[in-house]
Amino acid sequence: MNSGLAPSTNGSAEVYAVRLLKRRRLDGGTFEFTLSRPDGFSFRAGQRIRFEHPTGERDYSLVNGPAATELQVCVRIVQDGHFTPRLARAAIHSRFDISGPHGYFIFQPAARPAVFVATGTGIAPFIAMARSGVRGFRLLHGTRTADGLYYQAELRAAAAGYVACLSGAAAAAAAPPDAFAGRVTAYLAAHLAPGAYDFYLCGRSEMIRDVTLLVDRRFPASLVYSEIFF
Amino acid sequence: MKIYTGGGDQGRTSLFSGERVFKAHARIDAYGDVDELNSVLGALAAALPDQAAEIGTKIAGLQADLMKVGAWLATSPGSPALAQIEALTTADAAALEAAIDQLDADLPPLRSFILPGGHPAAAWAHMARTVCRRAERRVVGLADAAGDPSRQDHFAGLLVYLNRLSDYLFVLARYLNHVTGIPDRMWKK
Repeated sequence: MNSGLAPSTNGSAEVYAVRLLKRRRLDGGTFEFTLSRPDGFSFRAGQRIRFEHPTGERDYSLVNGPAATELQVCVRIVQDGHFTPRLARAAIHSRFDISGPHGYFIFQPAARPAVFVATGTGIAPFIAMARSGVRGFRLLHGTRTADGLYYQAELRAAAAGYVACLSGAAAAAAAPPDAFAGRVTAYLAAHLAPGAYDFYLCGRSEMIRDVTLLVDRRFPASLVYSEIFF
Repeated sequence: MKIYTGGGDQGRTSLFSGERVFKAHARIDAYGDVDELNSVLGALAAALPDQAAEIGTKIAGLQADLMKVGAWLATSPGSPALAQIEALTTADAAALEAAIDQLDADLPPLRSFILPGGHPAAAWAHMARTVCRRAERRVVGLADAAGDPSRQDHFAGLLVYLNRLSDYLFVLARYLNHVTGIPDRMWKK
């Protein structure tokens, strides 16, 4: 848990030095990276760490629960990007500087049913929430193909309902038998009963927009919490 | 990097506590005014004269305070999301009072109304003061509409802070004119 490296400061945010401990491939272009957890670094499920890198800052939601002894993030490698290819190639025990925790995308217990909606690696904060003990939620995970359904077994075990929404042309290959063929918005429009829900949205801006507008039309008494992946 | 989603294109937005409301909602008006005040403070900081460069640090602190004010206004009374927000305290208002006293000690006594203006930074301070008063009026309206005293308490600390902040901005405007050698312009009937 202790990186053995003292925190420094960068502006107002404390910066911690961490070590890359493990790298696990989730699909062709996405990895789970395990980092050492600095002493004194506390966070809540759903929050992000920020890599403070010379090429700029990069935020990633932690997939750990707060009690974990390490830090884990789920990162899609952008081949022509400045940071993620370096992260993908970094030797084990390489040093990275992070700050955090950042963000307010935290589960708020309520009487209304919770509906989690993720696209791609936007699933990350929901894994952290599940690992921190959140239960009873309905989860929609939108990806192009079944390869992108990271952490599916773990999430199915925690969720009251799990729906894989596969939008790619070849989505049928290796798809779960209960998968929905189409986008998360199409599923919500067709299958979520009218009512008041707490929606938690994490993913690309287009999904956030489409689901938010759908909520305004079909589920107007609901709450919406969102986290955009840029 | 995109900063837009288009989720508000049909006139609604999300509060920090998750509710979807029209952008003309009284709560949005209130934190919109606080946002405007923060922007005016940024202009004020950019116009500070060398003689008052140390005020820049104070302005940055006020801007950080106003981010907390905005977050508080964007969160409904009783929402569990309040637990994530750092509320302003009586110490924040007390710090403003101390800053007012410190600046005021250097100023000549005031015996009549003054006309806003003078050094550009002082003019921005007066602008900030008037926007702050508008924000305060919006928050008074929210507190009044809250009805139940326990819900009115949600706004009590903000009202004290905004009231004191506008006083600070008035004194700051005078101070900025004073240190740059520009006398107060008195109102003559």
